[in-house]
Amino acid sequence: MDPFLLWLESTALSVWIRESINVFAFPMILAYHTIGMGFVAGLSAAVDLRILGAARRVPLLELKRFLPATWVAFWLNAVSGVLLLIAYPTKALTNPVFYVKLTCIGFAVAILRSIAKSIFQNPNLDLGEIPRRGKWLAGASLFFWAGAIFAGRLLAYTYTRLSQGGTQ
Amino acid sequence: MTVYEIQHWLLTTLGSVEIVKPIMTSKWGWPICESLHFVGLSLLIGTIGMFDMRLLGVAKRIPISALHRLIPWGIGGYVVNIITGSMFLVTAPDQYLYNSAFHLKMLFMAVAGLNVLTFYSAVFRKVNVLGAGADAPLAAKWIGGASLFLWTGIIIFGRLLTFYRPFACGKGGPTGFLATCL
Repeated sequence: MDPFLLWLESTALSVWIRESINVFAFPMILAYHTIGMGFVAGLSAAVDLRILGAARRVPLLELKRFLPATWVAFWLNAVSGVLLLIAYPTKALTNPVFYVKLTCIGFAVAILRSIAKSIFQNPNLDLGEIPRRGKWLAGASLFFWAGAIFAGRLLAYTYTRLSQGGTQ
Repeated sequence: MTVYEIQHWLLTTLGSVEIVKPIMTSKWGWPICESLHFVGLSLLIGTIGMFDMRLLGVAKRIPISALHRLIPWGIGGYVVNIITGSMFLVTAPDQYLYNSAFHLKMLFMAVAGLNVLTFYSAVFRKVNVLGAGADAPLAAKWIGGASLFLWTGIIIFGRLLTFYRPFACGKGGPTGFLATCL
């Protein structure tokens, strides 16, 4: 038993998210997490597809206007994700798949920042070919977002301990 | 036919589809289909949501016709989700047919379908000729806003399915359209 996890699971917030029958407790936090996932992974994927050659007439530089919405979705998921973690810390932290998910998100977000910094700040880019590095980044971004989604969904099927109280 | 009879007919008809059951009842069949359903969801909301935002006025310097070339990717996500969604439905029809979250999800999907038909029949030709910097007409903005609202609602009701499964009603609990049991 981990005393920190035991304490966290006994806090009022953790108990409320986990046990309240209010739809705005666990169910809606999970729904927000899914909406954020759709927008952060989906908008990133749309930019990646453009970099990889889809919709070539879209001026690449202008896609940066969708970055604020992408970051709002990311922060929605950071906050809702922490709340879900507070509800079931043992369930996530004792599952290796959870760390696979976090690693995928780490890489995907680093790539998003890199695309925002390099590709979206190069006004000459729309005139010429996209550098090879940009295409690799876009391909890796699609891979890591899909990996984060798969790992996240499989959390429900791979955990071994639900809480400090028991095994299931 | 009463709503109850229609539900019962759907239950037996969908339940008689045997072809996907071996996959869906295998250890990883259902979880992998769920993961694909979430990937499809992201592709759909990312590309179609981006198009909707452009109609609403974000990134006006992108010509609408150019951004429309991303829509086939969103349709691809939609097709993945229709296939995986149907696989869930025929494997456990009772978990959906008597689930009020599923009823609302289907209602929102029907309205989203009508919204798409309205877009292509009423405004597509007008917005497709607009160049860089042009503002979409008000009708197109309403359609884009409705699309974002409806797809967000579809995600919410889809995610809430788990919490409105009919077993929460108990045996002989309420059935019919939008029966509530939580």
